[in-house]
Amino acid sequence: MRHVNRAAEGKTYEPVPFAVDDGRLRAFHDLFGGPPGVPPTLLTAAEFAVFPHVIGDPELALNFRKVVHGSQEYEFHRPLRLGETLMAEARIASIRQKGGNGFLVIETRMTDGTGETVAVARATMIERAPSA
Amino acid sequence: MSVRFEELHVGDELPILARMVTRGDVSAYADAGGDHNPLHQDDDVARMVGFPGIIAHGMFTMGHLGACVSTWAGDPANVVRLSAQFRAPVFMGEEIVAGGRVRSLDAETRTATAELWVTVEREGTTEFAIRKGEAEVRFPDRRP
Repeated sequence: MRHVNRAAEGKTYEPVPFAVDDGRLRAFHDLFGGPPGVPPTLLTAAEFAVFPHVIGDPELALNFRKVVHGSQEYEFHRPLRLGETLMAEARIASIRQKGGNGFLVIETRMTDGTGETVAVARATMIERAPSA
Repeated sequence: MSVRFEELHVGDELPILARMVTRGDVSAYADAGGDHNPLHQDDDVARMVGFPGIIAHGMFTMGHLGACVSTWAGDPANVVRLSAQFRAPVFMGEEIVAGGRVRSLDAETRTATAELWVTVEREGTTEFAIRKGEAEVRFPDRRP
């Protein structure tokens, strides 16, 4: 029986650039509609650019086939601007065990060229307990 | 159909937003969102974990919820926080309905907090694809 390794709590991953570009915006608008502007969940693309490094981290020892997306949160310190490139840095905010399941919170912080935090995304991944 | 902060009351419901979930949309979402997990693209993989076929990404359903909230807010830039809990899978050919209700209002910051959900009608019961969602929307002061 495998368990996520709690020692990885606080670990950060190499930041990756994320462009708030027109093509991405159009793809989201074509799919979901809504008023013009940057849709709040566009940042998921930045998170999923970083997640493979986290999910595949041997130190975490996650069983990928048992992992489901439990919850998600976005917090904006200012609106995102079309055309800007942000740096997305992921950090293991917490690792908990509850009822046999592992709860992993990945916090991805987006910063702009001045180093200011623009937005923070928090994804909770649940590693389900191995079935008996 | 956006609203003005002055018109809001605790308990007001956000206009619901409904859509069908198709294989084509979910495939397009995989490209747009960068999540190529085969659970959302390959029926055989989905069956191996006990689903009748592929399921929509949680973030597909949340993207739809984001459109519902942004429409109500008038501008996605007014949405300062958005959260969701993914509680039930969504299958192809189903209709998802996003909604919400104003929980509190802060006149000083012109901020409304709303609880949010996305439902699916399945075999006569209402399932919550998303529940305990929450949005914080800051309405700009447009008075002269």
